[in-house]
Amino acid sequence: MGENIIRIRNVKKIYQMGSESIPAVNGISLNIRQGEVCCLFGKSGSGKSTLLNLVAGLEKPTEGQIIFHKKHIERMNEDQLADFRQKYVGFVFQSYNLLPTLTALENVTLPLIFKSVPVKERNERAMEMLKAVGLEERATHKPQEMSGGQQQRVSIARAFVNRPPVVFADEPTGNLDTRTTYEMMDLITGLAKQNNQTLVIVTHDLELSEYADRIVMLQDGRIEKIEDRRKGKEETETAAREKGTAGKAEGEDGHD
Amino acid sequence: MNTKDLISMAVRNLLKRKLRTVLTVLGVVIGTASIVVMISIGIGMNESFAKQLEGWGSLQVIDVSPSGGMSYDEESGRMKQEKKQDPLDAKAVETFKQIEHVEAASPVKTSYFMIGAGKYVADANIMGIDPAAMEALGYKVEEGRALTAEDSKAIVVGGGVEFYDPKLSWEMRYSSEPPQVEILDKKVDVSYDWSYGTRYADKKLKTTKMEVVGTLSAEGNDSYWVIMPIKELEKLQKARDDWEKSKYGGNSSSNRNQTKEFDEVRVKVDKMDNVQAVQQQIKDMGFRASSLTDQLEAMKETTKMLRIVLGAIGAISMVVAAISITNTMVMAIYERTREIGIMKVIGASLRDIKLLFLTEAAFIGLAGGLAGIVVSFGVSQIVNLVAMQQGSNMTSSIPVWLYAGAVAFATGIGILSGYLPAQRAMRLSALTAIKTE
Repeated sequence: MGENIIRIRNVKKIYQMGSESIPAVNGISLNIRQGEVCCLFGKSGSGKSTLLNLVAGLEKPTEGQIIFHKKHIERMNEDQLADFRQKYVGFVFQSYNLLPTLTALENVTLPLIFKSVPVKERNERAMEMLKAVGLEERATHKPQEMSGGQQQRVSIARAFVNRPPVVFADEPTGNLDTRTTYEMMDLITGLAKQNNQTLVIVTHDLELSEYADRIVMLQDGRIEKIEDRRKGKEETETAAREKGTAGKAEGEDGHD
Repeated sequence: MNTKDLISMAVRNLLKRKLRTVLTVLGVVIGTASIVVMISIGIGMNESFAKQLEGWGSLQVIDVSPSGGMSYDEESGRMKQEKKQDPLDAKAVETFKQIEHVEAASPVKTSYFMIGAGKYVADANIMGIDPAAMEALGYKVEEGRALTAEDSKAIVVGGGVEFYDPKLSWEMRYSSEPPQVEILDKKVDVSYDWSYGTRYADKKLKTTKMEVVGTLSAEGNDSYWVIMPIKELEKLQKARDDWEKSKYGGNSSSNRNQTKEFDEVRVKVDKMDNVQAVQQQIKDMGFRASSLTDQLEAMKETTKMLRIVLGAIGAISMVVAAISITNTMVMAIYERTREIGIMKVIGASLRDIKLLFLTEAAFIGLAGGLAGIVVSFGVSQIVNLVAMQQGSNMTSSIPVWLYAGAVAFATGIGILSGYLPAQRAMRLSALTAIKTE
């Protein structure tokens, strides 16, 4: 796995509700590595979405540092944040967040439009992306003419079209049925792995963590546990193999 | 985001909310049209004044006369002796010609001679000018032609110059219609003997034969004048002085005619708008200067209040239109909060968001401005039609700059009205915006 692309240093986010201070994120330090699929897992109110918003520069931390490559996200002004999002970040949301008046293709080209990519090139790239998510037939359809799964595919195409180093997904399958959920996760992790892009997924669904290289479990604004599935997977796989052979041997032994 | 995408996105957004866009544009149309029509009526009034004055003479000509007399001092409220300045001579004429915007300047000397055509005569005010400058000085030649540099024994006679039979008594002269005398292209007799044609005339005196090369219009300030090259006038004046001296002896009746000073200098300016400035320059040299634009200015001054009121009526409707643009844009931002948030999250810069809303507002202004001038044109035609039927001089005239200015102004108003909403859209927090359901 690559070097650390995002370094989170003792980050706190405290909301003031009248006289009461509610710490949504309460001192989290975490490194996210280039090319990994990192899952922020926790129950509702655990601070996982807030953490994602902080890392994506949508909110400012009350305390702490968030460093993307060598840039301090928490110190950026609105202009710099906009530039940062345009160049380095893609988003997938639970509620798709497509522009309802634009067609699927136009929705996918939008990030390229803001980046002033010439018409021909951006249409080609957007079409390519739509093909990758299996929606080239639906290019001219508007969001309301598509199913939830299809809309989420468009939104995934939009997040990846600009080939950002990091893609953030906030409960990307929250509105989808189980079968579509797996399709979507296969698609999104597949795309990320293809180009060695980092994927940060926020979810409360433990099944999705199947797809993650690492699972960061959050509770009450703190990290409860980090599970390195990659290492773990390798370990369990080796263990299983060993166990399997051992068991077999045992079994053989037993039978014999 | 490039300009083309910006414009197409803005236009799309406007078309998405057709009815509201159309209604807002309608407000701008009314605002633009009322300003344009009101201003056009002001311009129309001034133009009809100018036309009225042009009947009297050219509006581009300044009459310069020597100073040195008494004049009214505005500060003290008393008459005061003007200090004597440079003489109004050939040198002064040359100086005038050097002033910027001056196209021509001609010295003027006036005299009073008799003109004889057959058995009829006319008492004529003679104006001697530089014949080369006659064309430029804007004399309204009706028939024939103006004097040119080559002319010497040639005159142009004003349409108001009346001939009469000198043999008739006064009573008969005034009771009968003035005779129609064909003089164009004919030679007439010019004489400085006031008794010419009567039995008291000096029989030994020879008249000067001059050809009438043109006639002036019977209306306007110059209609009672006979125009002649100034050299000829000076010759005649000298001959007259000699004749008077020999006849009556002693002092000549008009000493002044022998000085190098002219009675007047006429200065032609390239454009009417420059007349007042040139006139002021000449005044600053110490001469007296007047022109028909003085009257025009005075007329404009009297209608100024009316024009201000008209303009204000137009301005008020434009202010209302501007507020309605702002309202429309603010509404749009409320409706599109989520959309703005999404755009921000997926890579729109603050500038993109701001420009998008400004462009939409500008297009409302532009569309309103364009439709507004079309409406103005129609209204202007109707105003003129009604004015013509009523014989009123309250006409409407829309110059090209007003059309162009109105469109630019309406667009500017659009941008201005959109500025606040655009600023607001730009400042929306992306996070709260996408959370809005």
